[in-house]
Amino acid sequence: MKMKLTRENIIRWAPALVLLGLVVLFAAINPAFLSQRNLARIALASTPPMMVALGVTFIIVMGSIDLSMEGAVSLCAVLFCLMFLKLGGSLGAGAWLAIPAILLCGAFFGWLTGMVHVRLQIPSFMASLAMGFVGTGAAVLVTGGDIVRIDDDVFRALLTWRILGFPLMVHIAALLVLLAWFIQNHTTLGRNFYAVGGGEELAHASGVNVHRVRLAGFALAGVFYAVAAIFQVARLGQAESVTGANLMFVAITSVVVGGVALWGGIGGVLNAVVGVLIVNVIGNGMVVIGLPNYLQDGLLGVLVIVAVVLSTDRRLVSFAK
Amino acid sequence: MTMQRFKPHLPWITLLVLTAVVGVVDPNFLRPANLLSLAGDIVPLFIMALGLTFAIYIGGIDLSVQSMANMITVIASIYLASLGAWVAVLCIAAGFGLGMLSGFLTTRLFVPSFISTLAVGGVCFSVAQWLSGNRALNMDAEQRNATFGWMIGHTGIIPNELFLGAALLAICLFIERRTILGRVLKAVGAGEPAAKASGINVGRYKMLAFAISGALAAMAGLLFSVKLSGGAPTIANGFLLPAIVAVLIGGTPLTGGVGGVLNTLIGTLIVAVIRASMLYLGIEATQQQMLFGLVLIAAIALTIDRSKLRTVK
Repeated sequence: MKMKLTRENIIRWAPALVLLGLVVLFAAINPAFLSQRNLARIALASTPPMMVALGVTFIIVMGSIDLSMEGAVSLCAVLFCLMFLKLGGSLGAGAWLAIPAILLCGAFFGWLTGMVHVRLQIPSFMASLAMGFVGTGAAVLVTGGDIVRIDDDVFRALLTWRILGFPLMVHIAALLVLLAWFIQNHTTLGRNFYAVGGGEELAHASGVNVHRVRLAGFALAGVFYAVAAIFQVARLGQAESVTGANLMFVAITSVVVGGVALWGGIGGVLNAVVGVLIVNVIGNGMVVIGLPNYLQDGLLGVLVIVAVVLSTDRRLVSFAK
Repeated sequence: MTMQRFKPHLPWITLLVLTAVVGVVDPNFLRPANLLSLAGDIVPLFIMALGLTFAIYIGGIDLSVQSMANMITVIASIYLASLGAWVAVLCIAAGFGLGMLSGFLTTRLFVPSFISTLAVGGVCFSVAQWLSGNRALNMDAEQRNATFGWMIGHTGIIPNELFLGAALLAICLFIERRTILGRVLKAVGAGEPAAKASGINVGRYKMLAFAISGALAAMAGLLFSVKLSGGAPTIANGFLLPAIVAVLIGGTPLTGGVGGVLNTLIGTLIVAVIRASMLYLGIEATQQQMLFGLVLIAAIALTIDRSKLRTVK
């Protein structure tokens, strides 16, 4: 098939080209950027945001948005730590139960966000923003503002045990990317996300239970936020009410920069992966070439605007709220 | 009386009931001095919510207000020494300009306002970190008192912040009720396609609404930094939630078109009374954010005009 230089093709390949360009640029300025140690550092830093981005991708594909991840991750992280300590404080001693438990908690929190959005008929950006505040508030409430630490060597192996030079959690994250890709492409639920995102009324008319799909989407996202919380705890060895801070901005930016359209129906898991890598390559690259990394947020802000503008079909949109 | 006619009166009734409840529990709460100092403390939040009202009034949102205020506290702390009172002009111009930028992105480039303002907020956060070198900054106390001391003193028993808040409220009320801008914003909030069809340059007025929001967020940041005599890139974190709550609980729904700045005054007072009541009723401060989150959900659910949303995304 001959590739034509149409708008669709440019949009499809732009994120990958941007990622490639950035890697070449940083490597040219400082070859140490491509050293194995630095690549492992990028992969490690990408892992928690990657999980959050995967979760929110499903929701953006449906044409909704989820801004609750900071609260969800913080709450899951502190609950996970507290449960882990209560169950013996060591993976071998029964504390492994905390992992499935926290995945359920994440699913429940996501489902609750979905309920606020679907049942109370509140636009998702506001429903999820409010639920995010509730989540952070609940995390403050259960910890009383304190930090909860975990020093279990078995659990921290997620960070310390390296296979092929990369920490264990990076490998697990890669498997979860595959799982998310499978859900998206090979399950009814995954196809229904696209049906709802492509046109809600059409999906409804063809017999899709739109409300149930939305609820399932938010619950699924919640599970991925819970995984992000576990990785965050493994990386830092502790949890507090600000464990999820800044994940919202990073995750939304990643997904959008990766080429998932805010209007729904376009893009998917692989775009999110590219997006997260772009964001983290920028963050890491700036430090490697000697720029202060606090310029990152500003640059991301500019990038996300460019990405949204590029992906907007101006013939179809008459105004934005 | 039907629910539809009852709805507009709900905010001030809520305020009165809440005040009465707290007053019964602890009569000290109702002492004028206490009420005045309570009102004085909430003025920075009120100014921010006042600006946010304009963004929500047209059916948009401004998520950059908190980052904006953060950035302004840094700018004010740094440039007070060299610019003197002119630093206020710099701050407000920066807020106005960045708000205008959000408006431009939303109206001309069709980026939804929650994303465009989130992005502009990211830019503000970067600027704040860059200017401050990621440290907390202090103002020279003497110079602060000489330049902006009038903002935070007392006249009799009345905190001066209240005069500032009242003046800004009067200006906003004038804009809303007595100018073309105000009428157009109402038209846009009530139904944007219709406003456009009747020949109004909708984009220009919407940009102005976001610019006002930015300028007032900057004003809030300036007052906050003067009160604290310093600034830092995250010092105003925790403003966004109560500001949104104040606007929505006051009766300006997320869908826009109704409500207005007077509603935000009532909404802010409700926030102040809720905060104070937690203290009087012995509820711990750690529960505050969770409570406000739930109040927010309730306020949106009660005020939102569902007939304007064909599909809820």
